[in-house]
Amino acid sequence: MTFPQLLRRGVAAGAIAGALAAVYLLLLVEPLIEKALVIEEAREHGHSHGHEEELVSRLGQVLGAIGTLAVVGIIFGIVLAVVFAASRDRLPVVHDHGRSALLAGIGFVVFALLPAIKLPANPPGVGDPDSVDQRTVIYLALIVLGIALAVAALSLDRTLAGHGLTGPVRSTLLIGGSVLVAAVVLVLLPASQDAVADDIPAALLWEFRLASLGQLAVLWAALGLTFGVLVSRLPAARDAELVAR
Amino acid sequence: MANAVAVSTPAVRVPAWAWLLVAVALFAWYVISQDNGAVLGAAAGFLHEVTHDARHALGVPCH
Repeated sequence: MTFPQLLRRGVAAGAIAGALAAVYLLLLVEPLIEKALVIEEAREHGHSHGHEEELVSRLGQVLGAIGTLAVVGIIFGIVLAVVFAASRDRLPVVHDHGRSALLAGIGFVVFALLPAIKLPANPPGVGDPDSVDQRTVIYLALIVLGIALAVAALSLDRTLAGHGLTGPVRSTLLIGGSVLVAAVVLVLLPASQDAVADDIPAALLWEFRLASLGQLAVLWAALGLTFGVLVSRLPAARDAELVAR
Repeated sequence: MANAVAVSTPAVRVPAWAWLLVAVALFAWYVISQDNGAVLGAAAGFLHEVTHDARHALGVPCH
């Protein structure tokens, strides 16, 4: 198992994950974006200034979203491949598809779930442009803290394993501890001050946030499972499993 | 059945350029999903519109 082999599989798994996320987007997210855009449109008609020239057409935005998801999938596929290669011999999982699933699961929590709890996704028409820099800083800070927490938990796992604690005990302690630390971080970080406009129905907001989280779950699950399958078919991985038996 | 944990998994040698690749990939992710003009300046407007739906769908701070 060489690094270029892993990298190619990471890119392939990322492209597949991005494509599946794009299908999810077209079926479940775009209808909600369209609803929100209608509300935004109605708001603009209420004002005196005329309609502004669109920089990119609606079709362009939908196609752009598909392309963006493909690129984001490939980006996280590359990152997954490198982290997998670097940590493969140290992760507390026996099989390569388990390692891939563990890393992708951590990726989902760190890059999607933690930020989504603090700053839930919003449809167009929600969000104060003036606070976007502040929200971006909170978002990125959560990701950095999440990575630090995951690295700390995994290295603590090895230390505890050295002291003879069994896998179930270690995972219970470390997952529980990580959730506790993450909860404290989430409470301490400042929240977004943005108010949601009155013309956005609560149901639309709720459905959009669920759909967004679902899309991210599809992206990361597809990435972790596809990469795991592709990597498990490599000869070296099978050798290792034979040795493990 | 042998104790599987006791079997060591061989490490994969990761070249230094791989970490550079990760840095470039994460920077690209920042630019397409997060940047609102801080890095790209004027070009951010067009990129923002192209990636607009995906940004909302991915739940990143948009506007």
